[in-house]
Amino acid sequence: MASGSGGEDVWIPSVCGMCPDQCGILVHRVDGVVTKIEGNPRSPLGRGRLCARGLAGIQLLYDPHRLNQPLRRGNPEKGIGVDPRWQPISWDEALEAIVERLKQVRAEDPHRLLLCGTPASPAPLAFALGVFMPAFDSPNGFVCDERPNAGVEHMLARSLHGSISMYPDPDFCEYLLLFGADCTSGATAEKMADARVRGMRGVAVEPFLSPAAEKADEWLPIRPGSEGALACALLNLLLNEYRLFDAEYVRRHTDGPYLVRPDGAHARDTASGKPLVWDAAAGHARPFDEDGGDVAIEGTYVVDGEECRSVFELLREAVRRWTPEAAAEATTIHAQTIRGVAREFGEAARIGSTVTIEGRELPLRPAAAVCGPGAYGHDNGRPTALAIALLNEVVGAGDVPGGLLGSGAVSLGRPQTGLPRWVPCADSDGLLQSEPTPENRTDDWPAFDGRFAFDPRPKVLIDCGSNLLMGAAGPERVATLKECFVISVSLYSDETAEALADIVLPDASYLERLDPPQQSSPAGRGDWACQVRQPAVPPLRQRRHFSEVLLEIGQRLGIADAVNARTNIFYGLRLPHTLDPEQRCSWEEMVDRICQGGFGPEHGLAWFRENGVLTWPKRLEEVYWKPFDAARVPLRYEWLAGWQPCRAGRPQIGFDLQAVSYPVPWHASQTCENPWLDEVSQSEPYSYFICLNPRTAAAKGIADGDPIWVESTAGRRVRGRARLTEGVHPEVVAIGGNGGHWARGMPVARGQGAFFNALLTFDLEQPGPTPLAIDGDARVRVYKE
Amino acid sequence: MRQGMVIDLKRCIGCFACQIACKAEHGTRPGTVWARVIKREYGTFPEVRRVSLPLLCMHCRKAPCVEVCPTGATHKRADGIVTIDADKCVGCRYCVMVCPFGSRHYQDADHTYFRGREPDPYEARAYAQHPTGVVEKCDFCVERVDRGLDPACVVNCPTRARTFGDLHDRESEVSRLIDERGAFRLHEELETCPSVFYLPP
Repeated sequence: MASGSGGEDVWIPSVCGMCPDQCGILVHRVDGVVTKIEGNPRSPLGRGRLCARGLAGIQLLYDPHRLNQPLRRGNPEKGIGVDPRWQPISWDEALEAIVERLKQVRAEDPHRLLLCGTPASPAPLAFALGVFMPAFDSPNGFVCDERPNAGVEHMLARSLHGSISMYPDPDFCEYLLLFGADCTSGATAEKMADARVRGMRGVAVEPFLSPAAEKADEWLPIRPGSEGALACALLNLLLNEYRLFDAEYVRRHTDGPYLVRPDGAHARDTASGKPLVWDAAAGHARPFDEDGGDVAIEGTYVVDGEECRSVFELLREAVRRWTPEAAAEATTIHAQTIRGVAREFGEAARIGSTVTIEGRELPLRPAAAVCGPGAYGHDNGRPTALAIALLNEVVGAGDVPGGLLGSGAVSLGRPQTGLPRWVPCADSDGLLQSEPTPENRTDDWPAFDGRFAFDPRPKVLIDCGSNLLMGAAGPERVATLKECFVISVSLYSDETAEALADIVLPDASYLERLDPPQQSSPAGRGDWACQVRQPAVPPLRQRRHFSEVLLEIGQRLGIADAVNARTNIFYGLRLPHTLDPEQRCSWEEMVDRICQGGFGPEHGLAWFRENGVLTWPKRLEEVYWKPFDAARVPLRYEWLAGWQPCRAGRPQIGFDLQAVSYPVPWHASQTCENPWLDEVSQSEPYSYFICLNPRTAAAKGIADGDPIWVESTAGRRVRGRARLTEGVHPEVVAIGGNGGHWARGMPVARGQGAFFNALLTFDLEQPGPTPLAIDGDARVRVYKE
Repeated sequence: MRQGMVIDLKRCIGCFACQIACKAEHGTRPGTVWARVIKREYGTFPEVRRVSLPLLCMHCRKAPCVEVCPTGATHKRADGIVTIDADKCVGCRYCVMVCPFGSRHYQDADHTYFRGREPDPYEARAYAQHPTGVVEKCDFCVERVDRGLDPACVVNCPTRARTFGDLHDRESEVSRLIDERGAFRLHEELETCPSVFYLPP
């Protein structure tokens, strides 16, 4: 496009905000109008390349359906489908009404303020949950995602990798086993393409031939929710039949050699209380961290008159019931195929091999098994995700070249300052205990008083762009929040706003706001990146950045001193960058402090505005920390005993199918409202349709394109058009994520695709036999309209 | 010199970033998609493969669109890039009919992406470059190429699936990929000699 006559023509470095990946962008502004968004080649995040969402951000900025001023509900009635009869009000009126409510709650019980945010906006989410909520004295902040059970992944990543998420090593992996996971798109897309070209073999286990499975060499369609049975069978074959495991890794880097008494507790040294291992050379037990001869990982040993077995031995025992034949019955995958995958995976790991990187010899285990939402998104998600994670551990592929790595598990800081620093460390039993990162440090955090739970009767709810009603919390459950005062902070008058909000505040999009720097890095080797999101244009109309609004609310509530104190703690500010209690900083000043506090006075906001991104190389021991650290990974064999098929996987008379959802890579959150991305989905064969296997459809008289209903056992149903595809398991109906909006305020998205979460039942009885997990699938029947 | 492109289907993940990168570069109107992606399935359950195939103007050496254009609006440059001169195009659409790849789009309506709304500040600037009543298509980003840059879809591709260069230069990266990776072209039987090559998935 031609630039304006003699006017402004600038490129502004900033950070994408269309999904949680935070790629670096350059925004082209000509005469005050954003004319293009490109990837920032200087940023390690995206390396100058953007996905469809990131490129389409202009359509979010200028969408005429965006909220442009605060609104007050004119209709006292609330509920799904009710017209809110919005009445425009001034910011002053809106904040006055909000502050009045918040003052009441704070006086009665601050815990009854509930705030939820979206993972798509990590920086504003961090300020709201990490600063404002503690300053208000409410611990009831949470993240609402579209898919349930992300907590399962985070917990396992903490427990096994000292991180919050995991990814396969894109630089050395040669065999990638994906369980309902997508490692092909997003920030790793380029490196994974390199891996495919150099011959990495990919096997995708999932019920739908998703865009990720499309790129695998082999698609193994599985009965959804049975991924854990497959993983247990693979473990059984590796440990008990093929004996393809890394004994040295198990001995040194896991609790595998720890002796367990018949009652399930660790056998401990009477003097030190430390867990005991069996010294095979000396023929007696000794504390795990004492020097001695070779330690046994298999076998039964008598300690203090009791027969003790090692954790590793118990793990072998726990998976023994999962013969390939038993798993075949559970998963619909042929037993011979399961044997083949186990052998391929175990052999691909090349146990015992090493690689020299930067002059240092490290173990090489070029095989990784990855558990994604398709596998952990069930009520059996915890044992399933553990079994998959253990595939990496038993072949020695945890946080070593080629294997499964914790994302950003170790930070040794910038070479100049050694900050920020966090490293995995061991507890007194020698087990991995990750040091809190600055983002979630726990010193001076509100003490846990047992009420850190969803209060079913909050007085005030602030929904920061998560559109709770369409999230994994379940629409009916959320709709019961009618009684409370709901503030919706959003880009659009979305479903949650229309059904529940008393007041709606027009948020600034990522192209209109300033966010503090966040440290992140792409998968594998390369550079750390720290970038500041800066506005490409000032907020249009009356839109305001919610972090700034929270600052003002804090001042109006009289808790600005607490906000300052929490800012110091949360962003790790040290003298001289700390905020004094009585100081009243603007948001810009605050972000400047955070920049200087983290990166020195020479790297204030002005530096980031000019340069966009601060980078420094990742060190080898940051990428592959296992060989450099003594902390052991707990194998948690006892969780596997409880594995059983997920609720939606159990047959019920009249409900012959299982409904699953899958992520659509060119959508996230509310992007169906983006007309460029909507145009993609309109032309693409699957994402706006409900996918059925042709054989399944034929038996029901359903033809391609027919309008159909999908109805759950609880009578919930969604409507859509049928797409017949061989790429779906015959027992399954597959629905793309992010579809099915009904809000009047999102007319582009309205009616496009199907709203999968409407099929799910969420109540306090739903969580499965293992904690932290609910079933993200539904047992359904399908019929023509 | 003959400008051409190689698209590596092993690298391509069918993510549609090329479609939107093109849109962002050229600000084309609703419904006009110069760089498309189609998806095709092969086989029956459970032995199924799906392939994503990115499409654009093939800049054929023997381009039927050039032959049928009655006004000379569609023109092949010396470097092989097929362009359309909007001032000469009379909107007869013979070229749309004759293109075997469906790569041409007639600009019929003056509507916006947000139906029933006036063009937003971005669209107002963008659509000024796209008159109605004429045919449009991918031009390999000639304005970029003439400045020594690669086309927008090439520069942005998140998996680096696209390579652009001189097909006549035996040393070029495109020639090397075509030789080493068993490249093929679409509808070779029509003998239009496309300048866009594909590497097998």
